[in-house]
Amino acid sequence: MDVLTTLTIIFLLYSLYLLYKSYKLKCSRNCYLVDYVCFKPSPDRQITTRKCGEIIERNKNLGLAEYKFLLKVIVNSGIGERTYGPRNIIEGREESPTLDDAIEEMDEFLNVCIHDLFVKTKISPRDVDVLVVNISTFCPAPSLASRIVHRYNMRDDVKTYSLSSMGCSATLVAIDVVQNIFKSGKKSLAVVITSESISPNWYSGNDKSMMLGNCLFRCGGSAMLLTNDPAMQAQAKMRLKCLVRTHIGANDDAFNSAVQKEDDMGRVGVHLSKDLPKAAMRAFTENLKRLLPKILPYREIALIAFHIVKQKLVQPNAKLNKVVAQINFKSGVDHFCLHTGGTAVIDAVRQALRLSEFDVEPARMTLHRWGNTSASSIWYVLGYMEAKKRLKKKDRVLMISFGSGFKCNSCLWEVTRDLGDGDVWEDCIKEYPPKTIVNPYLDKYGWVNEETEETFNREERIEAFKNSPW
Amino acid sequence: MANEPLPPFSSSVRLKYVKLGYQYLVNHILTFILIPIIVGISIELARVGPDEILSLVRFLNDLDLIYVMSTLFLVIIVGTVYFMSRPRPVYLVDYACFRPKPNFRVPFSTFLEHARLVPQFDERTVRFQVKILERSGLGEETCLPPANHYIPPTCSMAAARSEAELVIFSAIDELLNKTGMRPKNIDILIVNCSLFSPTPSLSAMIVNKYKLRSNILSFNLSGMGCSAGLISLDLARDLLQAHGNSNALVVSTEIITPNYYLGKERAMLLPNCLFRMGAAAVLLSNCRRERSRAKYRLTHVVRTHKGADDAAYRCVFQEQDSEGLTGINLSKDLMAIAGDALKSNITTMGPLVLPASEQLLFLFSLIARKVFKAKWKPYIPDFRLAFEHFCIHAGGRAVIDELQKNLQLSDQHVEASRMALHRFGNTSSSSLWYELNYIESKGRMKKGDRVWMIGFGSGFKCNSAVWKCLKTIKTPVDGPWSTSIHRYPVDVPAVVKVL
Repeated sequence: MDVLTTLTIIFLLYSLYLLYKSYKLKCSRNCYLVDYVCFKPSPDRQITTRKCGEIIERNKNLGLAEYKFLLKVIVNSGIGERTYGPRNIIEGREESPTLDDAIEEMDEFLNVCIHDLFVKTKISPRDVDVLVVNISTFCPAPSLASRIVHRYNMRDDVKTYSLSSMGCSATLVAIDVVQNIFKSGKKSLAVVITSESISPNWYSGNDKSMMLGNCLFRCGGSAMLLTNDPAMQAQAKMRLKCLVRTHIGANDDAFNSAVQKEDDMGRVGVHLSKDLPKAAMRAFTENLKRLLPKILPYREIALIAFHIVKQKLVQPNAKLNKVVAQINFKSGVDHFCLHTGGTAVIDAVRQALRLSEFDVEPARMTLHRWGNTSASSIWYVLGYMEAKKRLKKKDRVLMISFGSGFKCNSCLWEVTRDLGDGDVWEDCIKEYPPKTIVNPYLDKYGWVNEETEETFNREERIEAFKNSPW
Repeated sequence: MANEPLPPFSSSVRLKYVKLGYQYLVNHILTFILIPIIVGISIELARVGPDEILSLVRFLNDLDLIYVMSTLFLVIIVGTVYFMSRPRPVYLVDYACFRPKPNFRVPFSTFLEHARLVPQFDERTVRFQVKILERSGLGEETCLPPANHYIPPTCSMAAARSEAELVIFSAIDELLNKTGMRPKNIDILIVNCSLFSPTPSLSAMIVNKYKLRSNILSFNLSGMGCSAGLISLDLARDLLQAHGNSNALVVSTEIITPNYYLGKERAMLLPNCLFRMGAAAVLLSNCRRERSRAKYRLTHVVRTHKGADDAAYRCVFQEQDSEGLTGINLSKDLMAIAGDALKSNITTMGPLVLPASEQLLFLFSLIARKVFKAKWKPYIPDFRLAFEHFCIHAGGRAVIDELQKNLQLSDQHVEASRMALHRFGNTSSSSLWYELNYIESKGRMKKGDRVWMIGFGSGFKCNSAVWKCLKTIKTPVDGPWSTSIHRYPVDVPAVVKVL
């Protein structure tokens, strides 16, 4: 029956077409990082240790104990002489920041960085389908996402999301949003903007637990372009393999380890409790438990399982420390992008994962050159690796970051082509790693240890400081 | 958007019936085509006689088993692939709104008295605020948080946190009770609160209070204005497409405490008069087993962002006045911009929801105007054919009036919005849920009804969501309206004299 044959053929062709469509859909579910740009503020915003000392000395609320504490933190922080701060703090207006100061700080970043991203990737702002902005401690109305839509004249059907208060790990939360939108299969271009607002968040009180933020946070930011379009695969730098998010807010100590609140005098600051390192480790462990099965090769997983079973049979009640000590984390990961929360964080992660100094060098150097730029720090670390030409095709890069709440987010990228773009590290990569990153002012501020409450005279000290040859 | 409908056509009674007939014809076109085909085939079969049919059946029987099996196999594979690649349905299992206690009430007399006692306000400022309140469409039972009852209001972070805990936790407690959902079964958490964003975030606060799982996907949206609730729904929908068998908790609120404006700039005093305390918690799911008890299914979400336009971007703007006090400046062009944003939104929404008859009319009108340069006014599709209920963000009386005019809605269509504004004030992103609850409490929600939620927000955004009701909601409904629904609707006068 001719009719029947024709009908069958038509039906077959249609079924093949449906299968092809669903295959194409599956291919469009990958998340590619096309390119990223880190922000380099202008040189007049550089903060040296001397500048930090000046800023601390300006604060009339500080006594000797706080002074000592802060100077100790600064000289031991691992932060170098070329990090950047917001204008209002450099100009001496840190105690009374205005809304305009905060907006100006953001504008300097948004106007430069995103523009550079579009130029670099040759994408027009009107091609952007999704815009995710995460700037933790500043959320004006209209949102900064709207500010970007306005500034770059984006389309009216652009999907914007403005994430806030999610801490230093928020950039991976933003990537999670984009990744989930991409899974619908529709070809889209997404821009993720990550930064932190320092100007409105200066703590002017004398509660020690709230002063750390003042010393460690610096200005920075990054803009990323992501897509799920397989046609852009050749241009892309990396492909996202997996993303794991862990939130241990259910634990009260972890939740209260970093809380923004008023001190006894009513000044707002972020209180960092002594439980913070413990909370971080706990969150990190939880995260690793879910991450490792996804990133380690099968052989390694089988080996770990074998050791666990062996231990359980021999010593059922013993802890699994010995087994953990035998895990080779580097079998599944070639490069580590650690959040530059501080030397303590880097050292703790290094110890936990048994990494070499070479592995954590990008993070340490980023902390030295840029300070703790909060959520965008991991992109500076990635930039260092790229500038040092460490990233080759098929390499796997693990990003780990921590955030208040307490969260630990991590993701694994696969490099899709050999990378060598210096970006913001271009001008200084040859100087890294330097022979020493010990703070040159360690000697200069050593006098603090000789003073007592009686001998400490603020005004005298400031005069002497101003007249010093430094 | 000052476009008027085509008066000569719809005002004539005879033509109205022509229009009705046309709509019926176009919307049921498939039925009208199928009937003659079926009649034709039956006549043909009757004529041919039973023998031919039997020979056809015998032919099919003679076919190779392999042929039949492979065809069947192919049908099953393609069918499975097709069904698996379809988008997952998003069900609204239930929702709960914060029920403010009567002791938080701010009747007009309280507002006036407090405003006079606040040292920062002079008589001129007080008069202005009261004048706004008189014309606002708000009633005497709207509520402000405890901190705003102090004179002057205490705007500390601690007070803001306690307001957040009060409104959010009570809404979530009620939702969890109603649905019997265990906190450990929540996979996704999205919180939106525009003007208060502490560290750790409000989403972390919820994770801590309810001991949610450590692999929860939590998101905290901020600064996105009064339409942020719909943005959260959009995000939840995208997440539920990517993760199967999941439950999502969406919390929409606005924290009033830190945003009370104590200055003299008029445009910035408006929010003091309009914004009130409120919160809503919504449970969404894509689990098939929730289908039987779900109330609604989300069919569409359309988002429009007019930020590229200068006037639109600046019409709701947070800034500092000359004294350094921060407040939200509402521009005079707000209504016009809202109308324009709505027009863009319905341009996208129209083809998704309008019946074929309206789309064809719109198409003809468009062709005539653009191709043949006819001097017709643009045809505004009749959205009453696409939706039974409308939830318009209760931003203020002017917003509701403007939308009623633009969409040609009757008073009953906008009743939910007006009454929610009267009873609860402008609760920002949660207002849509108070309005939905009003419609349910009035016993108007039937199975199959479609609801259109429209929200506006700073930026300027216009977002809308379309829900389809899955089961008739029986009264009495336990919700924020349970103590007051019997008194509604009320007639809200244009001006309520206070001074």
